[in-house]
Amino acid sequence: MSDDRTRRPFRLALGAKHLKRDVDQEIEFHIAMRTQALVAQGLDAETARARAVAQFGDSAAVREECVTIDTQRSRATTLAERLGNFRQDVAYAVRSLRQNPAFAGIVILILALGIGANTATFSVIDALMLRPLPVTHPEALVTIGDPRATGRLSEGTPESEIASYPLYTDLRDGNHVLTGLYGSGRTGRLDVVIDQAPASAKPGPTEGEHPHGRFVTGNFFSVLGVGAASGRTFAATEDRVTGADPVVVISEAYWRKRFAGDPAAIGRTITINGAGFVIVGVAEKGFTGDIVGQPSDLWIPVTMQPVVMPNSPWLTKRSVSWLLLMGRLAPGVSLESARTALSVLETRSLLENAGSERRYLETRLHDAPPRIESGARGFSYYRAAFASAMFTLTAAVAMVLVVVCANVANLMLARAAARGREISVRIALGAGRMRLVQQLLTESAVLAIIGSTCGLVVAWWGSTAILRLAAGGPRPVPVDVRLDWPVVAFTLGLSITTTLLIGLVPALRATRSDVASALRTQGRDSGAEMTRRGRIPLGKGLVIAQMALSMLLLVGTGMLVRSTERLAHADVGIARDQLILADVAAQQSGYTDARMNALVRDLMARAAAIPGVAAVSVSENGIFSGTESATNVQVEGFTARVDSDTAVKYDDVGAGYFNAVGAHLLRGRGIEARDNETGPRVAVINETMARFYFPHGDALGRHITADSTVWEIVGIVGDARTNDVRETPDRRLFVPIVQMKHSPDQFRVELRTGGDPARLVDAVRRALLASDPSLVVTDVSALPALIQDSLTQDYLVAKAVSFFGAIALILSALGLYGIMAYATSRRTAEFGLRMALGAEPGAVIRMVLSEAMTLAISGIVLGLPVAVAASQLIRGRLFHIGVFDPPSIGIAVIVLAISAALAAYLPALRASSVAPLAAIRAS
Amino acid sequence: MDDLDVNLTRGTLDLLILKALSWGPRHGYAVSDWIGQATGSALQLGEGTLYPALHRLERQQLVVAEWGLSENNRHAKYYRLSAGGRRRLQTGVSSWHRFVEAAASALRATAPVPAA
Repeated sequence: MSDDRTRRPFRLALGAKHLKRDVDQEIEFHIAMRTQALVAQGLDAETARARAVAQFGDSAAVREECVTIDTQRSRATTLAERLGNFRQDVAYAVRSLRQNPAFAGIVILILALGIGANTATFSVIDALMLRPLPVTHPEALVTIGDPRATGRLSEGTPESEIASYPLYTDLRDGNHVLTGLYGSGRTGRLDVVIDQAPASAKPGPTEGEHPHGRFVTGNFFSVLGVGAASGRTFAATEDRVTGADPVVVISEAYWRKRFAGDPAAIGRTITINGAGFVIVGVAEKGFTGDIVGQPSDLWIPVTMQPVVMPNSPWLTKRSVSWLLLMGRLAPGVSLESARTALSVLETRSLLENAGSERRYLETRLHDAPPRIESGARGFSYYRAAFASAMFTLTAAVAMVLVVVCANVANLMLARAAARGREISVRIALGAGRMRLVQQLLTESAVLAIIGSTCGLVVAWWGSTAILRLAAGGPRPVPVDVRLDWPVVAFTLGLSITTTLLIGLVPALRATRSDVASALRTQGRDSGAEMTRRGRIPLGKGLVIAQMALSMLLLVGTGMLVRSTERLAHADVGIARDQLILADVAAQQSGYTDARMNALVRDLMARAAAIPGVAAVSVSENGIFSGTESATNVQVEGFTARVDSDTAVKYDDVGAGYFNAVGAHLLRGRGIEARDNETGPRVAVINETMARFYFPHGDALGRHITADSTVWEIVGIVGDARTNDVRETPDRRLFVPIVQMKHSPDQFRVELRTGGDPARLVDAVRRALLASDPSLVVTDVSALPALIQDSLTQDYLVAKAVSFFGAIALILSALGLYGIMAYATSRRTAEFGLRMALGAEPGAVIRMVLSEAMTLAISGIVLGLPVAVAASQLIRGRLFHIGVFDPPSIGIAVIVLAISAALAAYLPALRASSVAPLAAIRAS
Repeated sequence: MDDLDVNLTRGTLDLLILKALSWGPRHGYAVSDWIGQATGSALQLGEGTLYPALHRLERQQLVVAEWGLSENNRHAKYYRLSAGGRRRLQTGVSSWHRFVEAAASALRATAPVPAA
């Protein structure tokens, strides 16, 4: 109990006024002494003083100079003193925390959780949404198109969201606002063979590795300003002649992983989808492409696309849109002016080449004009997809931090109360209040900083956990999460905020202590004094606040979990639990038109023969696999008011499709085997389409024109949600796959099984390959897994919010326990007296419990309206759950009440077991 | 001596102050008195000039100042050497002697030897 500040015996008054006075006094002393000496030599007093002043010289100048010097000196001293104080405070804080390791440990643990959760969330947000690409001057980059469309391939009418190769060259050559414009597009699955003989020796596609690749134009690296770590990047000329540049650049990470960073990898030939390519270079370390969340392992010149994907002529067709475009602004050109110029150019290029689709395209461009945005942060599918999930998570972790702060503030209050006497003595000895507040705050700061440091570790683990949850599997979303400066700065900001939140009020309260009464109690904490100072009410207020926030989180948790539950079991209109889907890349395997139709029939027959398979069919588009086709139709007896009235989604399907997928046929018949190449053109439409085009009459027997073919409607099928559980069903048209003018590039085989479809996945792959071993079967999945994948984010959010809700619940229960234990221990004497006067232990337990429940219920009552209001914020995430959800509220109330009762039970039990005599003696 | 234009440099004044304090704490007046006597009043400087020098030495922590009572019971600011000040005095004295010798021998020199 020593005041470390007593090194200086007296407090020196510092400050400008004081310095001037000292200097004046010193000069006056000199002149007085000199005067005295001169008088002693015989001069009269007046002359002597005049002589003394003259001998001194310009006293005003001397004074000024001395004051200046002293001011500098005093500043330096003050700073040194402050630093010294701070060092002392830190040492003091560390010492006093070490005397109480349990307290320090608990506070640090709680803070680490709270701050760690926030840092983890922020680091994911930083990586996905804030951080610029690691390229030269990312701020000068602009994207053309939808930055989310990283994996899109659109065949048919061109669109503004993603570009065809001819559109790219128009924009590249026609603009004057960019110094360069590159395009990059998806490669689909690549079969790469390393260390093998050249392609010619190996007929047909070979199963190999499947690194992630992108087709890029020759100026990709030069526009981004990314150099080579080894070898070279592409030359701008390496996209002039189709098929002429069999070269690849690989990423530094892939180089390390696959070639162990061997310089000899440069110049080696690898086989991609059967064609030989020479590795010419390794891109700069840290550069994994222009897409955040989907790192590339290798880049292939765009003009090699027809070589890598034979049968897919994507370079020449304006109807195949598959490129993301990124340009670099010319010096002095603003994003705004580039937007105008590029938008005009793109619109013109699209319309000039639209031909018969011009009017439709005009409407489409009106609805979705060209998108030109800043490209500094690159493209990302995940950025947009996770925005709302990350928002919900941020809200949840922020609330957890508030609960954490309330909890720790409560602990600090109790600690300050316990040290009341020590502080009073120090105030009595003359310690300044600000100085004491500073010291107590330093203690909070030491806790917050240690807590944050541990929090960074929690965050390191937590951000990976978030990304792993987000990916819905063991492999996290490959986002480069780092504890870089923004993250550290964020954490530091949190620590400072936390320090103030947990330390300021307790520190101010503790130092308000009035000296006399504290000393009077002779070091024993006085309950009466505490109550009078209002410490308990503040503590109780903090407990109520924690309860209210927990209520908020628990209600949110309940709603999200119930919503996810409903999503997971929603009726999507097909047999979601029994389907297997196999993707066949028919064109890549060399099947077109008649050969493909034969393949379809053969595969259906083979699949049907697998034991356990109840029904089989095929379709061009998959189910929950993200492909979709759209077209425009003219409907007999229907006049479109706007162009978009003619737009429908369509799919071309095999015989028995509706039966196979378990869709509900409402009227007429489905597609059957008799609807073959030569048969009459028939179509089945869904319920929504039938209602839209034929609101009064019967759709059956009517005709619609699509793809310049007239189809007769033979059936109406129930609506199904086949891409997203949440989607509202579109108008949808089904036609026989064998009646299509152009056979699709790829198709899916759908199999309905009797039992768990996952068991048959391997058997299906074997059966399909038995038809043709060189067939490219890109994916065989059970539908439940695909649906699960589509709900990944919902699981992520529900799991994470549940986790945070549990933390908040535990913390507030601990807070309640703490406050009740403290309150009952203060009232030992009272309980003893009650017992002595004949109170039953049960009555005492009830009394304590009811006090605790009053706090809990106050929290619940306060939290309820806030929870209902806050659930508006997550409305977009909810599926078939209203914003006022009684079951969630009921569960939250019950969980909170039970936790509160449990938290209060131990203190209550202790209160009831007080021995009357001991209690009275203790007081 | 009077017609010579030899200015007292700041370094020399600092050195004299440190020397004045080398026998124990003194206030500014006493330092000024000692310098006057010790130099036989040869260095004509305004007595006030001393004070900025003293304060500067204090800022450099070569001297330490404390208020105390003077011989005639007045409040006076006393200066004493710090350990650093004492070291500075030693090094200062020897380098001052080297300087004076060098300057003196230069001033004694005869006509320069013409360059060959």
